[in-house]
Amino acid sequence: MKEMEDAKKSYENIPIPAELSKRVQSEIEKANAVQKRKAVQTRRNLIMKKTAITAAAAVVLLTTGLNTSQTFAQEMGSIPVVGSIARVLTFRSYETENANIKISVDIPTIEMISTELSGLEKGVNKEIYSFCEQYAEEAQARAEEYRQAFLETGGTEEEWTAHDIKIKVRYDVKAFTDDYLSIAVIGTDSSSNAYSETKYYNLDIKSGKWVTLPEILGENMQAAEENVRSQIAQREKETEMEFWDEDWDGLDKDTKFYINTSGNPVVVFEKYEIAPGAAGQQEFEIVK
Amino acid sequence: MKENLYDKLVAYIVENQAKFYRLAFSCVKNQEDALDAVQNAVCKALAHYEDLRNENAVKTWFYRIVLHESYAILNAKKRFIPADDSYYSEIPYEEKRYEIHDDLYSQISRMEPDTQNIIKLRFFEELELSEISQVLGMNLNTVKTKLYRGLKALKIAIGEEEFT
Repeated sequence: MKEMEDAKKSYENIPIPAELSKRVQSEIEKANAVQKRKAVQTRRNLIMKKTAITAAAAVVLLTTGLNTSQTFAQEMGSIPVVGSIARVLTFRSYETENANIKISVDIPTIEMISTELSGLEKGVNKEIYSFCEQYAEEAQARAEEYRQAFLETGGTEEEWTAHDIKIKVRYDVKAFTDDYLSIAVIGTDSSSNAYSETKYYNLDIKSGKWVTLPEILGENMQAAEENVRSQIAQREKETEMEFWDEDWDGLDKDTKFYINTSGNPVVVFEKYEIAPGAAGQQEFEIVK
Repeated sequence: MKENLYDKLVAYIVENQAKFYRLAFSCVKNQEDALDAVQNAVCKALAHYEDLRNENAVKTWFYRIVLHESYAILNAKKRFIPADDSYYSEIPYEEKRYEIHDDLYSQISRMEPDTQNIIKLRFFEELELSEISQVLGMNLNTVKTKLYRGLKALKIAIGEEEFT
């Protein structure tokens, strides 16, 4: 076996070029970038739910990925909105910039004025707060991965700066009527419109409860749903686009909506949810 | 769970890259091709790590990919060498070269690929025979037979326990 040991030594003496670890490392980094992209994609797929929607979004992503145009709702001032029972305040507002990624966040908080209803807002404020923080964090992580991938694939820092990525979390008081307080919390990421996320919070001021659409509509649910469907058909004609309403399950307690200044619920379909991305977010007012 | 497996695979590759390189080099016999083979193997392994169901199999799985990529490079090269050239230069050249220092290692390098790989994996990489059968996708008894015949050809006597 002496000969075999010598042979083993010859084998082990095969010189290892310094380039080996560089080559291996570069493959690992490439694969890591793919892994991260996959993780982001999984999350986006969850939001968009349907594969057809994702395919459409992927096309939009490619074309608007580098586009930095802003589609923000008008900015809300930091003036608190005051009502008789509750008011909306900007709880926390901050702006940061990290590696040319601009982040600005305004987190709203609801304060009950009437003492008998105080305490009710806590759960919702917590939820709003964590939604805002989570959105900002995820968007930032996403932008950083994007930046890394951009630089690794030959982009320069200057070109990256030109992307001017902005992440914003804003809120918009949709209505403050005698009956309802309705707030939209909007997260936007200029790297791609596909990542925009909005949450709506509707408070029934009289009962002091957060309301769902079935609770507002009551027995009118069926009629309202038919109304929305006919509005969809109408809009398909107007926009000359095909909507995906056959995939829509109808109104239920999780349906996204806000209440407008006339006190009517407005059902909201996010971009890609029911129509091609080019049609944008779709809103349908249910006139009571 | 899946991410965990991915991280383990990355750690395994970083730790054992020199071994992969030697195995690839012993097949393709030059630095540039060996580097390419390892790089391709790392790329494929990381892209398909989900296929690796059992993390204990990572060693045999990765050796298998390295060998596969090495032979892929060899085969691709063969196609680009004109038949005439290989007839005149390749065979005589190799024989002369190995006659100069004809030690056991060189003898092994000239053996039929399967036998060569079995011997390398068994004695240089110190794999179990069962692991070798996984790496080469070969029946365990075939591995044993080829190893036995190979060693006999090399006139090396080894203990019977190697074959149990």
